[in-house]
Amino acid sequence: MSLQTNPLQDGLRIEPTPGPTTLVIFGASGDLTRRKLLPALWSLSRGRRLPARFAVIGVARSENDDEGFRTIFRDSLREFAHDKGSTDEVAESLASRLFYVRGELDDPVLYARLRDKLKEIEGDEGVLFYLAVPPEVYGPVTTQLGQAGLSSAPEPAWRRIIIEKPFGTDLNSARELNRRVHEHFDEDQVFRIDHYLGKETVQNLMVFRFANGMFEPIWNRRYIDHVQITAAETVGVERRAAYYEHAGALRDMVQNHLMQLLTLIAMEPPIAFTAESVRDRKMDALLSIQPLVQENGPLANVVRAQYGDGWVNGQEVAGYRREPGVNAGSVTETYVAARLHLDSWRWAGVPFYVRTGKRMPKRTTEIAIQFRRPPLEIFRRVSSTPVASNLLIVNVQPDEGISIRFDAKLPATRMPLAPVMMNFRYGTAFGGEVPEAYETLLLDAMLGDPTLFARHDFVEASWALITPIHERWRDERAQEIPTYEAGEWGPDEADALIAREGRRWRTL
Amino acid sequence: MTDTHANTPAGATVSFSEINEALQSGAEQNPVHARSLMATVVAIAANERLPETHEALQHLASQCAIRAIVISHGTVPAPPATVSGQIVALTGLKPQFVDNAVAALRLSNLPTLVWYRGGTEELLRDLADLADRMVLDESEPFASWKQAQHLIDRTAFSDLRWARLTRWRTLMASFFDIPRVRDTARSFTHLRISGSDGVAAKLYAAWLTSSLSQPLEVELAIEPGRSPIERVRLGDAERSLTLRLGRSKHCVHTAMAIDGEHTSSRIASLGDQRLPSMMAEELRIRARDAAFERAMAAAVAAA
Repeated sequence: MSLQTNPLQDGLRIEPTPGPTTLVIFGASGDLTRRKLLPALWSLSRGRRLPARFAVIGVARSENDDEGFRTIFRDSLREFAHDKGSTDEVAESLASRLFYVRGELDDPVLYARLRDKLKEIEGDEGVLFYLAVPPEVYGPVTTQLGQAGLSSAPEPAWRRIIIEKPFGTDLNSARELNRRVHEHFDEDQVFRIDHYLGKETVQNLMVFRFANGMFEPIWNRRYIDHVQITAAETVGVERRAAYYEHAGALRDMVQNHLMQLLTLIAMEPPIAFTAESVRDRKMDALLSIQPLVQENGPLANVVRAQYGDGWVNGQEVAGYRREPGVNAGSVTETYVAARLHLDSWRWAGVPFYVRTGKRMPKRTTEIAIQFRRPPLEIFRRVSSTPVASNLLIVNVQPDEGISIRFDAKLPATRMPLAPVMMNFRYGTAFGGEVPEAYETLLLDAMLGDPTLFARHDFVEASWALITPIHERWRDERAQEIPTYEAGEWGPDEADALIAREGRRWRTL
Repeated sequence: MTDTHANTPAGATVSFSEINEALQSGAEQNPVHARSLMATVVAIAANERLPETHEALQHLASQCAIRAIVISHGTVPAPPATVSGQIVALTGLKPQFVDNAVAALRLSNLPTLVWYRGGTEELLRDLADLADRMVLDESEPFASWKQAQHLIDRTAFSDLRWARLTRWRTLMASFFDIPRVRDTARSFTHLRISGSDGVAAKLYAAWLTSSLSQPLEVELAIEPGRSPIERVRLGDAERSLTLRLGRSKHCVHTAMAIDGEHTSSRIASLGDQRLPSMMAEELRIRARDAAFERAMAAAVAAA
C-alpha cells in the first residue's frame, strides 16, 4: 500500500513550497530579469522556498546559450543580490538548473524549441511564464503560447502566466489585451503583477485593519478627516524615456500602484482571506470612486506637472525636456496629484488625495490617514499649541512600518501639548531580512495564489477611471504644462488643489 | 563556588529593585534605539554558559526588538543585576527565585519565550507557567523531554536541536513529495544516521519512525569531532534516499536511488545555524509543534 499524502510534511516549520515548477522568463537578458527576477530566485532558493524540481528557462532574441545565461545569473547576483558575491554551492546548484532558448518572440519555431526544452529537462509539469518584455508583445507572446499548445496541460500539470505592468495603455487596450490573453489562458492562470502588492507593509495593511479590532471601528467618515497617498521618487526618467514619453505619471503610477494602495485602505472587510474575497472587496472600493472627469466640466480634481531643472540630493539635475530621449517640447506629466471621493457609506465626504512624482526631494511612498480633531478643544485655554490631528502613517518604502501620531502633555507644571510618534518598523522589530516584493510574488504565482495580483476587472475599472483624464489632456492639445523645480514637492497647482478644502500636503 | 564574576557581562550593576529604573534610563540615554518591542526572551543557563548565552542574546536583541533576560544558576536570592540596553543579566540566582524574577521582569502582555539551557525539574515546571513557549537547549535533554510531555498543556515546547534538524527534515520530506517515493516507502527498512550528536540523531530517527508509522532498523554512527549530523540514509538494500552534508558544512546534498535510477538533484542551504539566528527563528513561532511533541515522545520511549 502506498502513501497518499506526504507523511513528513506535518509540522515542518516552513511555509508551503510549490510543486515542480519551470519558470520561463521571456526577456531573459533584460533589466528586470537581471535586477529583480534572478536575485529573487536566488533568495528563494537560499531560503529553501523553491521546489525540489525547479528550473528556469530564459528566452530572448540575443545570441546566447545555457552557460551564457548562467553567467548572466552569476553577474546579477554579484551586482544586485542582497548577499553580493553569492557564488556558493546553492547558487551553483540553482545555476545548473538554468537553461536558455533563443528566438524571435513572434516566431512559432521559438515555441516549438521551448516545448522541446521543457520535455528535455523534464520540466513540463508546472510551467510559469513570465513576460518581462515590452508590453506591445504581451499579446503576440500569449497567442504564440496558445497556438503552440503551451497554455494548458492536463492536471496535475499546470500553466500560468505572469504579466508585468503596464497592462494596457488605456481602457480599450486593456480590454483588448485581456481578450487576447483569455483566448488561451483562463483568468485563474493569469497573474498581473504589481510589485507594490508584494511589499510587506502593503500586505500588513490587511493584517493591521482586519486582525486588530481597535482600528476598524474608527476606519470611516466619522473619525477620518482625509487620506493622503504619496509615491515620490528622486530619480528622473533615466533610461525609460521612450516608454515614459507615452506613459507619463498618470498611467505609470496612478492607474496601478496608487489605485492598489487606495483600495487596500478603502476596502470593506472581506469575509475570508481568500483571493476572490479580497479582490472582490477591492473591486467594490475601486468602483465606488467618483469619476474624475465630468462631461464638459473642468478637470478640477487633477493636477499634472513636469519637472524642470533643479537640485536633488545635492546634485544639479536637468529638467525633463532636457533628458536624453525626451522630446524638447514634451508635455508628458512627471507629476500627478488628484483628489478622489468614494461613494460609499464608509467614505462619503472623506477626500483621498494622491500624488506621485519624479525628481522629488525624497524617495518615499506612504499612506497618511488623518483623523478628525476632537469635537471640543478643552486645552485651548491652557496650551498655546493647538491640538494636532491624530495621524496614522503607513510607510510603504523605503523604511517599511507604521507610525501613529498623537498629542501628549509636555513635562511642565501647566498643560503644554506636543505631538509624539509611536513607531513600528519592520527593519527593527522582527529581525531577519524582509523579503523583496518579487520574491513574495514569484512564490505566490508558483503556488497559484492570486491574492496579491490584479484581476482583469480591477485593471479595466482602473483604466476606466484614468483614461478619461488622459483623453482630456490629449484633447486639450496643450503646448505647455505646469512645471516644478526638480527637488521640490510639486507645483503650486497641487498645493492649491488640497488648500481649497483647508488642508495641506504633508511635509515628508 | 564558581567564579561568577568572571562570567558577568558588562553593563550597569544595580540591585533587583532598580532594574526597571535602569532599563528606563538606558532607553532615555539611547533614544535612537527606542522601538516597538515584540517579546521577552529569558535565557536560563549554567554559569559557565553565561558568556556565550549573553553574547547570543545581545546579537538577537540587536536584530529583534526584545527585552532579554539572562539568568545563571547560583545560590544568591537577589544577586545584583547587570543592565545593558534591553538586556538584564542576573548572575548566580538561586533556582527557587528564578520564576519570581522572570515574572517581575517580563514585558506584560507580550509573549515570553524561555530559552532553557538546564536547571531543575521544579524550575522547568515553574517556568512553564510563565512562558508562552519554551525552547529546550541541553546537552542531555531526555530528563527535560520526559517532564515536558506532562507540561505541554501549559506551554508550547520546542528544542533547539529540533530547530537545527528542520533543514534535514525538510529535505527528507521533499523526497516524499514525489509519488514514486511514497509508493516505495513502505518497503524501507533501514535508517542510518552519522554525525557527532547522538541526541539529535535519536530525535531525527524518532521523528521519521513516528511520522512514517512503520518499523525501521535504526543505526546510529556517532563519533566525536564530526558535525552534529553528517549523513542520513533511509531505504533498503537496493533503494535509498540520502542526505549528505557538503564540504562547506553549509549545504546538504540530496540523492535518490529508486528502482535503479540515480538522481542527485539538489543542494540546499542549511541556513545560519548559529545561536542568535536559531533563536530569531524560534521567536517567529508561537504555536504548539505537534510534530516535535510526537518525536520527543517517541525519542523518550525509545531511550
